[in-house]
Order: sequence, then C-alpha cells, then structure tokens
Amino acid sequence: MSDPKDFSASMESDFRKTPVRVAFVTRRTSPAVKFRDEDYVMTFPETLIRAAVAVQVLVVFLVWLALLWNAPLEQLADPMHTPNPAKAPWYFLGLQELLHYFPPVVAGVLVPGLVVTALVVIPYFNINIEADGIFSKDRRRRLAICWSVIPALLVFLIAFDVYVAVPATLLIAALLFVAQRTPADAPKGFRSWLASKPLSFWIMTWFLMELMVLTGVGTFFRGPGWSWVLPWRG
Amino acid sequence: MANNIQHYIDELHQHRIWRSVFRSGSGDSNLHRAQAVQSNVFLHLFAVKSRRRMLEFSATWYLGALTFGTFLVLVITGILLMLYYHPSVPQAYADMKDLQFVVSSGVFLRNLHRWSAHAMVFLVFAHMFKVFYRGAYRPPREFNWVIGVVLLLITLLLSYTGYLLPWDQLAYWAVTVGSNIASAVPLLGQKIRFMMLGGNSVNANALLRFYVLHCMVLPLTAIFLMAIHFWRIRKDGGLYAPDKPAKEGTK
Amino acid sequence: MNGLRSLWNKFFGNSSRAFGSMSVILLLSLAIAPAKDFFSEWRHAQKNYVKLIRTRADAVTLERHVEPGLQQIWHPELGVVDRCTTCHLGLKEASLSNVTQQPFAKHPPIPHSLTQFGCVICHRGQGTATTEREAHHSTDSWEEPLLPANYIEASCGQCHLSPLRGTPTLNEGRRLLASEGCARCHNIKLADGSVVVPTDDPPELNHIADKTTREWIFAWVKNPQAYAASSTMPNFGFSDDDARDISAFLVAQSTKGPYPARTVKAASSDPNTVQQGASLYGQSFCASCHATQNAAGNLVGGDFGPELTRVGSKLKPEWLESWIRDPATYDPETRMPHFRLDDKQVGLISNYLQSKTDSDLLANVHLEPATQKQAEHGRALVLEYGCASCHQINGVKKPENFAPDLSRIGSKPFAQLAFPAGVEHTLPNYLTSKISKPRAFGAGLKMPKFALTTPQVDALATALLSLTSRANALPASLRIATQHESHYQPAGKAGQLISDLRCFSCHAFNGRGGTMAPDLSWEGSSVQREWLVDFLKNPNTLRPALIRRMPKFNLTGAEINTLTDYILTVYQNPAFDRDEIAPSSLTPQLAEQGKQLYYSKYSCQSCHMIDAQKDKGYIGPVLSQAGLRLTPAWTYQWLRNPQALRPGTIEPNQHMDDADAKALTAYLMTLKLRAKQGGN
Repeated sequence: MSDPKDFSASMESDFRKTPVRVAFVTRRTSPAVKFRDEDYVMTFPETLIRAAVAVQVLVVFLVWLALLWNAPLEQLADPMHTPNPAKAPWYFLGLQELLHYFPPVVAGVLVPGLVVTALVVIPYFNINIEADGIFSKDRRRRLAICWSVIPALLVFLIAFDVYVAVPATLLIAALLFVAQRTPADAPKGFRSWLASKPLSFWIMTWFLMELMVLTGVGTFFRGPGWSWVLPWRG
Repeated sequence: MANNIQHYIDELHQHRIWRSVFRSGSGDSNLHRAQAVQSNVFLHLFAVKSRRRMLEFSATWYLGALTFGTFLVLVITGILLMLYYHPSVPQAYADMKDLQFVVSSGVFLRNLHRWSAHAMVFLVFAHMFKVFYRGAYRPPREFNWVIGVVLLLITLLLSYTGYLLPWDQLAYWAVTVGSNIASAVPLLGQKIRFMMLGGNSVNANALLRFYVLHCMVLPLTAIFLMAIHFWRIRKDGGLYAPDKPAKEGTK
Repeated sequence: MNGLRSLWNKFFGNSSRAFGSMSVILLLSLAIAPAKDFFSEWRHAQKNYVKLIRTRADAVTLERHVEPGLQQIWHPELGVVDRCTTCHLGLKEASLSNVTQQPFAKHPPIPHSLTQFGCVICHRGQGTATTEREAHHSTDSWEEPLLPANYIEASCGQCHLSPLRGTPTLNEGRRLLASEGCARCHNIKLADGSVVVPTDDPPELNHIADKTTREWIFAWVKNPQAYAASSTMPNFGFSDDDARDISAFLVAQSTKGPYPARTVKAASSDPNTVQQGASLYGQSFCASCHATQNAAGNLVGGDFGPELTRVGSKLKPEWLESWIRDPATYDPETRMPHFRLDDKQVGLISNYLQSKTDSDLLANVHLEPATQKQAEHGRALVLEYGCASCHQINGVKKPENFAPDLSRIGSKPFAQLAFPAGVEHTLPNYLTSKISKPRAFGAGLKMPKFALTTPQVDALATALLSLTSRANALPASLRIATQHESHYQPAGKAGQLISDLRCFSCHAFNGRGGTMAPDLSWEGSSVQREWLVDFLKNPNTLRPALIRRMPKFNLTGAEINTLTDYILTVYQNPAFDRDEIAPSSLTPQLAEQGKQLYYSKYSCQSCHMIDAQKDKGYIGPVLSQAGLRLTPAWTYQWLRNPQALRPGTIEPNQHMDDADAKALTAYLMTLKLRAKQGGN
C-alpha cells in the first residue's frame, strides 16, 4: 500500500440497503481492532415501533385505571377548616415526614437542597466515573471513614427520633460489611458484585431506600396530628 | 383485495401531495428508512441506527419512552381539560363538578390526567435511578444527567401546581402544607412564599399563578429541556451501552 | 398451549404486529368512556320515565313535556345549579299525582313555583350531581345529604324569619328556642341580624333564702321535674354532693329581699279556709297563667307562670304573702300583675297555696349545716355550669359566649362535630341526640337535659336546621324579616297603671306585648266606653272556646276611668274616625236587611254565636253583646276588610260592598244582650 493509487475497495453488500463504514488505514496506524462494531438496527422502524408499543401498553393501563378508579375530589376548599392530617401530595410526603422530626430549615431547605446538589454533581466526580469498588483502593482510610460515618449517622437519626430511617441504614451497613469482608479474588457472585460497587452506589441505594420508607410511612401510616395509624384500620 | 389496497396505498405514497409532505418516500431500503428519520423534524433527534442490544427491555425498561408517553397523554388530556376550566374561586371547583356530572367523558379525562400525572412522577424517579445504576451519567453524558435532574424538578413542580387546580380541600391543604415548607428558607422564606402564592395564604391569586405555571411556563420549559435531553442522547452516541463488545474485541 | 402460543405470535409475534394489536386495544379502551356516558344513570331514568308515561291516558301531552338530555335550573344570584329535574321528570305533571315510583312522582303543592328557587335550597343534597348517590347522599365531595322530609320546614325558615301559617313545626321550634332558655347560653342570630331573645323568666336567686329552704333547693337542683313536671329548668345530672354544695352556696350568697317584713299567721289546715282560698284562686283566674296537676295527673291551667302543684313544699309563707300582695316589690321584671288584693284575700290565697304540698318531695332530704368548703365548691359548680346565664346570683357575673354560637348550626360541617357511638352521621340526628341526650356525647359536657317531648325535640331541630349559611348568603330581598319588638311604653298615670297591671304580659299595644290576649292597639276605635268600663270592672270572656280568661284586678273606679280615657283617646286607628257612623243612621229597616245577610248570604252563624242556646259557632267571638261593645264605625270597617284592621285574622274578607256592610253593621248594633251582673 505504498502507492496511494493502489487503493481499492470492494463492497460485498448493496450499499443502498446497508450503509457501510469505510476505514482508511495509513502507514502510521496499526490495524489492531480496539473496538469491534456491534450489531445495529435502523431506528425507524425497529426502535421507534418498540418504544411506541411500550407507550401503548402503558397508556392502555392508564386508560383502564381511569375507567375503573375516579380521581379523588373532596369538598370545596375551606380555609377555615383544616383537615387533620393535612397532607402534601404523595411525592412530598417523605419531606413532610422529615418535617415531623427536624426543624423546617433542616427538613424543608437543607435536606432537599443537599439532595438536588448531590444529584447534579454526581457525574462531575472522578470517583463516580471510575466507579471502582468502594474499598478497592486506599482501603484503610476508606474503611476508617466508612465506619465512623455510619455510626455517627445512626446516632444522629436516633437522637432526632427518626427510628423509621434506622433499619435501612443498618441494612446498608450490613451489606457494606459483607463487601468489606469479600476477598479480591472471590468467585463471581453476589459478594463480588457487592464488593465491586462504588461509593455513589451505596449512597444512592441508601437514599432510595430512605425515600421509599419515608414516603411510604408518610402516605400510609400517618393519621391525625401526624400520629401513627395502621392503614387497614379504618 | 389485499393487492388492491396495497396498490392504492402505494399510489398515495407516490402522490405529489404526499411526497411534498414526506420527502423520504416509501420503500423498505435502509436509505429510505434513514431518510425517514433524517427528514423528519421530530425523528431527527434520533440517530439513524441504534444498537440492537439496547432494544432489550432489561437495558432501559423503556423508562424514558414511557415517561415521554405519559407527558404526551398529559398534554392531550390537559388541553381538553383547559376547555372546561376557569382558574377562579370558587368557579374552579364548580368546573370539577361539571366535569364529573355534565361534560361527556369529563370524569374519564380528569381521571386519566390525574393518574398519568402520578405515573409520570413515579416514572421520572424510576428513570433517574435506572440511569444511575447503569452508570449512564458518565462523560460525555454528564450535562444530560443534569438536564434530567432539572426535568425531574420540573415534573414535581408540574404535579404540585396541578394539584391545586381542583380547588377542593385536598388541593387547598396539600398546597398550603407545601408552601409552608418554602417559608422555612432562612431570611427569604416569607418572601419566597409570598412570591409563590401571590399573597400570604393560598387564595385566588395563588390559583391563577399556579394555573399559569401549570399550563404555560412549566410545560414549555419541559418541552424545551426534553428536546435538548433527547437530542443529546444522539450527540453522545446513542443510548449508553457498557463496553462489553470492546472487551470481546481485544481477545 | 401451542394454540395459545400461535395466537400470541399471530398478534404480538413481532413489533409491527404488536403495534397493530395494541393500537386496536387502545382505541377500544378509549371508546369505553363515551359508552359509559351513554349508559349513564340519568339516561336510564329518562328512558324509564318515557316508558311509564306511555302507559298513561294522557301520554301524548306528557311526552310533549319531556325534553331529553340534561336539565338544569340555574339561579346564579341564589347560587343554585340544580340538575335534579334531569331524573325527576314528573314533578310538575298534575296527572301523575298517583305515581309513587321515584324519581317520577309529582311534587306536592307548595306556595312557590318549582323553578323559582330550584330544589336544593329546600331539599339540600348536591344539585349539580347527576347520579343518585352523589345527589342524595353524603359523599367525599359533598357532605350535605338530602334533608329528611320531617325537617323540611327548616328550609322555609331560611327566608321566612317570622312565623308562617304553613310551618307549625318550625314556628314551635323557634318558640321553644326562646322559651326553653336555649338563647340564654347560646347566641342564636337569624339571617336578618336579629337575635333570638329568651322569653322565659328564670327567677333571680339573690334573695332565694327568703323564698325557700336549702332542702328544697337540693331537691330542685337534683331533679327539677320531680317538683314540677312542666318546669323549664333542665336537669344537670348533679350528684348528691354537688347538689348539696350548690344549695349551700345559693343559701350563703342570698341577701335579704327589699320587701317589708310582716308577721304571718300560721297556715290553717281548716278545709273551709282552704276552700275559700281555692275559690278566690279560681275567681282571680290564676289558672290562666299557672297550672296545677289534677287528681288524674294532668296539668290544668296556663303555662305562662310556674306550675303550682307542690308550691306549698317550696315557698316560705312570709315570702308567698308578700309576693301575692305585689310581685313587683320582689321582682320588678316579673310578668305577674299586681292584683290589688286586700290582706284577707292575700291570706286566703296564700293559705290555699301552702296546702298544696308533696310530702315525698323532701322526705329523704337531710342536710347537715353547710361548711365553708362546700359553699366554695358550690360556687365553683355554679360558675362551671353557667347558672348565671339564666339566674341572677350575688357575686357571679353572667358569662359571655358560654355555649357555642348556633347562628349557622344548620350548615355545620360534620368534621367539626363529634358524634356519639351508634348515631348515624347526619346533622338532624346530631341535633336531636344532642338535645335529648346531651351527656351521651362525652364526659365532662355541661349541656343539661331538658324535659322535652320527642315532637318538641324535632321542632327544635327544625328551627336549628333553618339557621344555615345559605340563609345568610341569600339576597336580602328574599328575606321576610322578623318582627322587631318595640319598646313602646305608655306615659302618665295610665302608663303606670298599665305597667302595674302587667297588661303587656298578655296584650300587645303598638307592637309590644304578649300574644296570649287580643292586640289592643286600636281598642279605642273598636269599643264603646260603657262596655269597656263594665269589662274592666268585671271581665268576662268574649270567646267561649278559650279557657284562659282575663283576671279580675279589683280596680277602683278612678283607676278604671283613667284607663278607659287613655285607651279610648290613644289607641285609635288613624284610618277612620270612631264616631264616623252616627247611630241614628242605622235604621231598623237596615237592621232587618242585615239580619237576612247575616243568616243567608254570609252565614255568619257558622263561626259566631248570638243565641248561646241555638247557635253553634264556636270559632269567632260571641256577638250577643256586639251592639253594646263595638262602635258602628269599627264594625263597618271590620266587615269591609278585616285584615286591614288586624293582619292575619282568620275572619275571612268577604269583599262586602258598602250597602251590605252598612246593613250588617246596623243589625249587629241591635245585639245588646246584657250579661248578668257578677257572672260570666
């Protein structure tokens, strides 16, 4: 291939049907394959029609929901008469549950602010991008931080009577302990999978669990005066 | 019979008027299909081709598409509901009663809008967690992740502003509770709440404000950001796929 | 299994097939919503109505009246959007009066047009609703269910704030609100801003130790109805200790009354003396106001003053005599007249009343001398239970806003009410239970139990249900306001006499006074001087059907002259001159003509009596003395238009022409039967 004029290319397939990518290999580059192209399909119709079917299934589900269950409608708004309990929409009930434990500045401003900030900055930290197992590097220091932060968190939660948030925290701590005790050469399985999970995974999972627990408690288990009630008892 | 119908359909696809609208023309060739995407203002947000393995349900659970689906349902039912709704006190509540008792399929419209709204909030959260656990926020997609977070907040705001519109006890007190949280912001709390409600309590001003936000400002912002969100997927090389094939390739 | 799989493949085998199938499923699902509308409840009702009327003789007419589709009565100024007529299609069809099948029955006749105010203003429920459940019952989105038919008069009371002929239950309920003392603890404001003013007369207790004993107070406080079945004092359910302490406090706070001390002869049990007292009691017509239980246990007499069945067990003789002599010295506000009895008469009546004892009442009451602590606890109880809301007590102020305001109780949201177990959650149920079983609503409640019959409780509930928010929101032009009591007070010597005799207790003048006896505002135009003088000297009754009679006041000649002059000059109707018809113009021929008219054309004898032996008219006054009593001018004007002289009188307006009225007047003026002296 010394002479550029020697260049020739052949097409096996009908290019009108299958677009073909052509690579020009010069003398200075090696032809080693770093990344093998994978199987592609045409977006139209393959992807779009699948997406459309998925949406259709959802819409049919929603239509039947709408046919069978009426949206709630209560009496005309009456500023003079406060219902007990007055509840925010369900997706804010986690927050409302927190308001029960913490002063408004903490539960209403600090916590949501921190959550949003944390979500926004996730992709800007190398530790999240590299995504190595939490204890795979700098193990000593990380273990020390981990096992001082988790007890501190538990003490904090108990100090503010947030007992509902304790089980999920303990579960994460237990799983972290399993991850810590998993040897690097462990066979492929649940333990090695746990050990491979990065810091952001652990925080996000904890956040997800607490979000579900707090929202669930606020939605189903809170009655007049934000006291405990059982949803199946009237 | 079937041939006849096919004949007429082909005839239609070849017609001047049809061709003036859909320039790609008909045909099963990949060129036609590529042009179908490229020459369509909506579809050109997509790449012409997508990875086959990303079509697997387990890859995305189609959560992005489903969220967008609920958004479309909400836009359509929302526009229909707007035809029957006055953002004034207490007419807003009377309009709910009219929807329930007089408007043809009014109950159904309202139900569908309400349940779709809940579904959308749920799906947006699910989408976010799914994207996170797949690691799809990694560069070069980091800014698209940020847009996603903003879209999550807009979805919450859309749902929250819509919650007030029926002007019933549920709406009134849910919004009151929500707005009281805003007043906890140090120093500016009361001011923020005043700006949010157009007054010191949830009243007719708040209803109008929420209505404008719910029907104009927030949906338009959402559409704008969604366009960027979708377009960026294409620009960032399609749906994020972990590099499994590359590892196979180096063997 | 394979069959199922191939079927699945056929419709969902690849993405295009799935898309096609899902599109069909989606479209079908979407079509269900309009289909649901088509099979709606109200369309079904309309079909059934058409089926029903087709079987009837006047099917063509009825069908012409049917407008298919949703019906609505809309009155924005009343806040009414009623769609009830969508299903209730036969409301206005007179020919459907025998249909009982709902929702197609005819509406019973009412004084208003059915579309004038819509339906829910009277019947409540949710007017905008088009399903039976939402329209009639209490739901999440509409609390107020239909008002049960037995309370329907409450709805009339939203606009009609003064009594109506057609609403006896409501009128009775409103009367009870005032007379049972409800308005003493509760503030009850009507829609026109007027306040229910209590009409009962709870005694002041400042000098109670002069009047009665601690033992009696104990028994009374424990159970007032044991002393007098008709007592309006409610039962607070006090324990023996509480009653002991309250009696201790009431006696301790009592001061000496402002009347002169006199020595009183010991009561005589001589049957003769008692009998003399009883007949004087009868002659003075005490029973017009006071009731006593007869041997059969029935109350006989008026309910204007307290029941006297066991009065001998209650009152101290010195107090009783002093009271009978002149009630006003003890209680300036009393409604009881000053009877002007001499010492002997006072003694006789007092002696008679002292004989009316009940040995059982105080038989088991044995009280130790009260301690300071008990009296203090009694005072605390008096404060806690708001006794001073009704009674004057030394050193205890009348509490303000002691009980909840009832001005909007008829629209009270359930969420603000606590129901006792076993009471269905409706407002009428709440009110009737609260009135009849006030202490069933929880421990520590203060509302006492009133001695009320079930119809009285229902009447009270009706009156309370009329106090709605809607009544306050209605345009003022719809409101028929309450009649305000005037503060008319006649002046001068005659005025003093009118006060002393408590004429206002029974008679009304110029808008003030009672309703027990005739309104005397125009008495001066209607009666002749000689008759009035005779009547005041010795009242006898004009209406044979009445048990209550005007008491004899033992007036002196001078007093009678003063009163008569005053009445004849002041209480004149401004529309005509009492002397405008000269007696000479009423000739015997005219009288004869009038007699014919009396018995034939106008059949006056069906209500009035002239000859007590022959005639049977018991409704109107006896006319045998009409010529002595009435002035010709009044008679003439009355015959022309009775309602102009006395609004609401049941005397029918016959629209008599001038000649007939004149002739009848002439005839009536010939009726001059003189009553036997001293009898009635």
